[in-house]
Amino acid sequence: MRIIIFTWEYPPRVIGKLSEYVKALSDQLASNHVEVNVVTYDDSVTGSAKEPTGVQTVRVSNPVRTHIGVLTWVLTLNQEVERAAANLYYEAKNQIDLIDVYDWHFIPAAVTLKNGLGIPFVYSVESLEDHRSRGITTPYTMAIRSIEWLGFYEAQKVSAKSEWMRDEIIRIYKVPKEKISVISTEPSSWIKEILKLYSAVGGGLNSK
Amino acid sequence: MMLSWEFPPRVIGGISPHVNFLSKSLAKQGVKVYVVTCDFPDAPSHEVIEGVEVYRIDSYKNPAPDFATWVYLMNLNMQKETAALTRKIGDKIDLLHCHDWLVANAGIGLKHVFRKPLLVTMHSTEIGRRDGLHTDTEKMIHETEAWLTYEAWKVICCSDYMISHVKWAFGLPNDKLAMVPNGVNTKNYDIDDDLKDFRSKFALPEEKIVLYVGRLVYEKGIHVLINAVPKILEKVNAKFIIVGSGYMKEQLLNIVRSMGLEHKVLFEGFMDEKTLLKLQKCADVSVVPSLFEPFGIVALEAMAAKSPVVASDTGGLSEIIEHDVTGVKVYPNNPDSLAWGINKVLLDDTYRQRLRENAYKKVLEKYDWEKIAQQTKRIYESVLGEYSKSFWA
Repeated sequence: MRIIIFTWEYPPRVIGKLSEYVKALSDQLASNHVEVNVVTYDDSVTGSAKEPTGVQTVRVSNPVRTHIGVLTWVLTLNQEVERAAANLYYEAKNQIDLIDVYDWHFIPAAVTLKNGLGIPFVYSVESLEDHRSRGITTPYTMAIRSIEWLGFYEAQKVSAKSEWMRDEIIRIYKVPKEKISVISTEPSSWIKEILKLYSAVGGGLNSK
Repeated sequence: MMLSWEFPPRVIGGISPHVNFLSKSLAKQGVKVYVVTCDFPDAPSHEVIEGVEVYRIDSYKNPAPDFATWVYLMNLNMQKETAALTRKIGDKIDLLHCHDWLVANAGIGLKHVFRKPLLVTMHSTEIGRRDGLHTDTEKMIHETEAWLTYEAWKVICCSDYMISHVKWAFGLPNDKLAMVPNGVNTKNYDIDDDLKDFRSKFALPEEKIVLYVGRLVYEKGIHVLINAVPKILEKVNAKFIIVGSGYMKEQLLNIVRSMGLEHKVLFEGFMDEKTLLKLQKCADVSVVPSLFEPFGIVALEAMAAKSPVVASDTGGLSEIIEHDVTGVKVYPNNPDSLAWGINKVLLDDTYRQRLRENAYKKVLEKYDWEKIAQQTKRIYESVLGEYSKSFWA
């Protein structure tokens, strides 16, 4: 199985808890014979690299330096994420089973790659704009929520870390319950559950 | 696959008519053209117009924080829907052709996703529009334009002036640039209707019509025309008709009010194409007072409508108009010079007639869409020739 993970933070870039989580996940997946490519942002460490654990990382930087907000920054960075992912796709002779996207930042790239190249994606939810901003009241937060909504709509499967988060996703975005897998970080079952989810999605856009 | 943020009936600036005529003329040359553009009330999401497949996408209608952010949000939708369309028609797209930074993100993303060559027509630049880069928004747009021209296989501009401007602004090599003039469709102006009644809706028989068509923004120099109004009225009885809207509208209205000339200056706002064509035919003089003008399609349209043109001697206008032959050129940003030019045309009937005839002849010779489409097609073919030898092919 060959997958790509999109995440806006990955060591050495550590913003929140997501960075260490994705690092641990990708290492675990690699030791379970999954070919893992991580596409992430880093301004100082750019280009692709092979890590000791076998994980291939591609770090992209923003082609536009000046920005007026996180939204324009994110939406421009997405094209570089697409470029990196498309390069991996063509290098792998079109054999990418799925993309796992962490939070909303790189949803636009995942949606385009799905629609253009037929690569299904999993939307892995770490947090939601409704919780981060305590209610959606400005055009700015509405735009982020609309990107999250697009992610839920276009994703093959959604993964959440708790039942509470699953219920929040259902409450706010009206996502059908069957679409969401709750995968706890309990060490005994964690990777097994993720692999189960990946093999369900890896069957392509028509898989259930 | 052509990407444009505007296509009729959505008309905001010069890109819409450009893409309209270019795509149709390319279709006549045997090129299969898809146009993906923003939606518009009551316009279908897919239609075939004279051989051109037009797709209108959901252009993000939630309130956006600001215009630039809206552009990037709209590009997200445009990219998604164009990707799906490209996949649906099955690897048949040979190249992508973008118009301006407004579709940069979508064009660049699709280039890499499908590994197809990207062309861009730069109709204008932020650094030119704003006469420098003063805010973060302007810098961001400028850098987006630089990124787009960097990613493009070829950069097309509509005038020699724009070629040198773009070369300077983004540091592009000569062999990446190609000049293809903008065109105008003269057939549109073959209206036989008696325009006497139509004219009387705008002006008294004894009033000359001075027409301005364009957005009411700084770079278009409309404020120069407004400042010239009293100087013109000293010598000629005229009615000034201003078509278009923009952020300067209130400010301009206030100036006109304070001069007590509301009865002489009409702000018509946005106007539908048919009415505008008739008005252009009625105009005794068409004024293009731009401070920055990459091409100057309004001047060309006026020439096709056989309306004499007074334009500022700048940018693409300098190339279109030959002073005293196909129009009158005046100093940019100079109300005295502008008033002089307008009066010169309005006061001399035979001069006016001569400008009309010469200008019309010039349009037929040089700015015919068929010739422009042929030039564009040759550029496509040469890019595809180079592309076929690359490892992407």
